[in-house]
Amino acid sequence: MKRTVLRLIGRGIADLALDPAGTAGALLAVTLTSFLAGLFFMLLTTLDIRLGMARGESIFQIYWRDGMDMDVVRRQWQEYVHLPGFRSVRTYTPEQALEELGRRIGRAGGDLDKTFPFLAADSPLPATALVALSPSGPDPERWLEETSAYFRSQHGVARVSAAPLQNELGQAWKQVGSYVLWPATTFLLLALGLSVGNTVRLAVRAREHEIEILQLAGAYNWYIRLPLAAGSAALGLTGGLCSLALLFLLHDRLGDVLNFPPLSLRLYFPSPRAVAALLLAPTVTAALAGVLAVRK
Amino acid sequence: MIRVRRLSHSFGADPVLKDVSFSLEKGDFVFLAGPSGAGKTTLLRILYAALPLQTGEAAVAGINLGRLPASRVPLLRRQVGVVFQDFKILPRRSVEQNIALPLEIRGLAPRHIERRVMAVTRALGLQDRIRLKCGELSGGEQQRVAIARAFVVNPKVLLADEPTGNLDPELAYRLMELFKQFQAYGATVLFATHSEDLMRRHPGAYTMRLEKGRITAADWPGAGVFIDGAGRTVHSRQRQ
Repeated sequence: MKRTVLRLIGRGIADLALDPAGTAGALLAVTLTSFLAGLFFMLLTTLDIRLGMARGESIFQIYWRDGMDMDVVRRQWQEYVHLPGFRSVRTYTPEQALEELGRRIGRAGGDLDKTFPFLAADSPLPATALVALSPSGPDPERWLEETSAYFRSQHGVARVSAAPLQNELGQAWKQVGSYVLWPATTFLLLALGLSVGNTVRLAVRAREHEIEILQLAGAYNWYIRLPLAAGSAALGLTGGLCSLALLFLLHDRLGDVLNFPPLSLRLYFPSPRAVAALLLAPTVTAALAGVLAVRK
Repeated sequence: MIRVRRLSHSFGADPVLKDVSFSLEKGDFVFLAGPSGAGKTTLLRILYAALPLQTGEAAVAGINLGRLPASRVPLLRRQVGVVFQDFKILPRRSVEQNIALPLEIRGLAPRHIERRVMAVTRALGLQDRIRLKCGELSGGEQQRVAIARAFVVNPKVLLADEPTGNLDPELAYRLMELFKQFQAYGATVLFATHSEDLMRRHPGAYTMRLEKGRITAADWPGAGVFIDGAGRTVHSRQRQ
């Protein structure tokens, strides 16, 4: 049985060569449809990343351990200006931190020298830095985690806290994402699936004569459908791979074509999830179409 | 092996078969004669379940067609070999692949398939053509491939719809000998033809004549009751 199933799958794929012109036509249709979907994904990814870049900044509060050599800490502060998405940095030695605290309490009506006279000589506060960075990359939450981890890994750092992104544009984009982006993506995948499915269904219909002969020779439906499903899935997968290759080529050649001031618009390749969808959608729908095209 | 009782069939309002009854036993060879449009092909199509049974009863190789669900149709077709008027071969596949098709469907081991295919291609003079694609063959050769495909499974029942229609008389005669040999092994053969010459050359076979959907003549006991050419009700035991 297992051997029969494997043989039928192999035959289904090999049968694609029986009608090279028909297979080439179907493959072209699947490839172009998937390519169009991929192009749309590419634009969505680019838009998402561009809007992500404009989501304002995140503030990282970094506290060093007590008694750290301030020369070491200062060297670290100097390196922050080279971080990607760097906006600003405010640093406080323990003394400056105490002074700042006194000023803030004083502003609130208190007086540090009068309240804590014993602290003035030996500040108990740690060295602190407030680093403002703009998110980079398509996933701001991941970026936040990775950047926090980077600061934590620095020598002498005791604690890092990051303020979440607070930006109206970011919030608005999140809403767009939930109300428009996902339905649009689902619709796109559905359209891709239907288009590919219909193409494959027509290709299978062209083999109606063969299907009829198999039925007349006593073949069960699964025996007829399995090779058709395998062949169709192979067609869908090949079409998906070809469309990805075209997308890659397009991205490689034209990715930076608009990347000049003031546009500075760089095209981003679709996310791994979108790439998986671009491969899975045509493969699965083609296989299903191959199965469903056979009438009982 | 084949039992048909009061079978009628119509396409829309047009009756094609009217009250057809007959029975064939194991090893019977019957010519199904009649002009084009007499209902020969329709009768054969009902017998291999390509058309549903509308009125009457029919059983082939012990399988009652009136109670045959779609899921069990392949079981019937594995008992029946059919030679189609339009060959129904796969032009893009080789002669070998076409003939091996029903054996592969039945799940036979490759070595058995090869042995049987070789035997039948030799019997039908196709051994030199075995690797060619069927689309490259002549009409007569394609017909022989269709016959080989029906023979290769050793069916209990062989239904043939004008199987010698595209062959020259000499080849048709040789093929008839093969059909007769096949019958000798115990297969029941129902052979549709409108060639009087072919029937004359095989006097040992029974003949059942269909005209406008009715049996108008039959020369063996199992042919049941029919209306003859003069409109008289005749029982086949009376022998024409």
